[in-house]
Amino acid sequence: MTKNVSSVSLRLFNRDSFPLITFALLFILCAVMMGADYRYQILKKIKSEFSIATSPIIYLINLPASIFLNTKNNFTTKALLKDKIKSLQQSNHILSIAVQENELLKSENKILRNKLRIKKNFDVVGITAEIILPNVRNGHSIITINKGLTNNIKIGSAVINNAGLVGQVINISKNYSEIMPITADQYAVPAIMNNSKENAILYGNGNGELEIPLFPASSSILINDTFVTSGAGGLYPKGINIGTVAEIKPTKSPKFNSILVTPFSQSTTYTQITVINLKE
Amino acid sequence: MNKKTIIEKKKERTSFIILFFISIILSNIGIPGIENPALMPNYFIALIIASILNKSSYMNIYKLVIIGLLVDILAGQLLGQYGLIFIFIYLLHFIIQKLLVIKTTPQLFSLSFFLILFSFIILWTTSLSHGLFINFNLLFTQSILTFIAYLIFNIFIEKFTEN
Repeated sequence: MTKNVSSVSLRLFNRDSFPLITFALLFILCAVMMGADYRYQILKKIKSEFSIATSPIIYLINLPASIFLNTKNNFTTKALLKDKIKSLQQSNHILSIAVQENELLKSENKILRNKLRIKKNFDVVGITAEIILPNVRNGHSIITINKGLTNNIKIGSAVINNAGLVGQVINISKNYSEIMPITADQYAVPAIMNNSKENAILYGNGNGELEIPLFPASSSILINDTFVTSGAGGLYPKGINIGTVAEIKPTKSPKFNSILVTPFSQSTTYTQITVINLKE
Repeated sequence: MNKKTIIEKKKERTSFIILFFISIILSNIGIPGIENPALMPNYFIALIIASILNKSSYMNIYKLVIIGLLVDILAGQLLGQYGLIFIFIYLLHFIIQKLLVIKTTPQLFSLSFFLILFSFIILWTTSLSHGLFINFNLLFTQSILTFIAYLIFNIFIEKFTEN
């Protein structure tokens, strides 16, 4: 005679019942939140509101590292500083000559533009700021600066320093702003080679470099060639230094090469930056 | 049935709060000497798996979603992403617990590594489907680093909650 076994005791979850309905509801809730955030950028707004509370905490977290770096910098030897002053004086001399040449070119350019009746493309307004936190947030590089909404910083503004392009403003709070560095894996910038022949879009690879995944193999490009911003799209002024070609790699297709570009500016090598707001 | 005392529950809760704050701190600073910021463990996934596998009595599906939302606000990129990951870890652990008998330490470590890999796959798929780029090649390295973080968190929880 077969034993009459109740179906309840044979079920998979026969001891602790799994909150299946709750799970389904929470799953839908999470999926809806993700979809809404993707469409309306809710998390950015929340983070912006929370930044008043989180910025000091992040500042405190990074304080030991900043103190260590500052102390290390303060203990730089006198001789080293003297050498630096000497080299800066030399470069200043060279630059002052270059400035004179540029002034001449600028006035010449103005005359030519007037003759050609070409309007000025954009008016650049620069806001100088200081980097307070070049840090990492859950695996993503973020640079925090000490200027925000009160200083008329705008989302999407380009950020430069004396070496070249630094990144783009992605979040703003009242007194702080967050910058996505050019090497971040979601970053893209239209660029042109210094010989003004080849246009390309450079993508950050999240590994301290930029890359052009598919660059026509027929185009001439050499190691140490320089890329500058092309000005396409109107977000960045034309001519800001981006980086130099470090590696040219073949791809699966013989028609294209992959180009690796080392940026001129690294987030750990500077403190002063300029945020550029473009006026159309 | 072996019920946990109030003191044990309090210890578990305290250890979780301490580890959560440590995770926030660590996720905001890179590993010294490593330039690539993506090469770091996901401390929050390690913490949740350590808490679930240590059978923390206070951990339930609602709290996991709330913790997930907190993680999203503090260190996430997409609202609801970590909540989704954490409830899937909870579900998968529940199913495995019913199907297999996990008793020895190697079994527990294998299960934890499997859960970590599973979490990273969800993180990767949800990121990709919402326009966020995550380097797939780094996922395995990150999983190993997260597993190491899990081991450290596990030792801390065991030491902290033992009588």
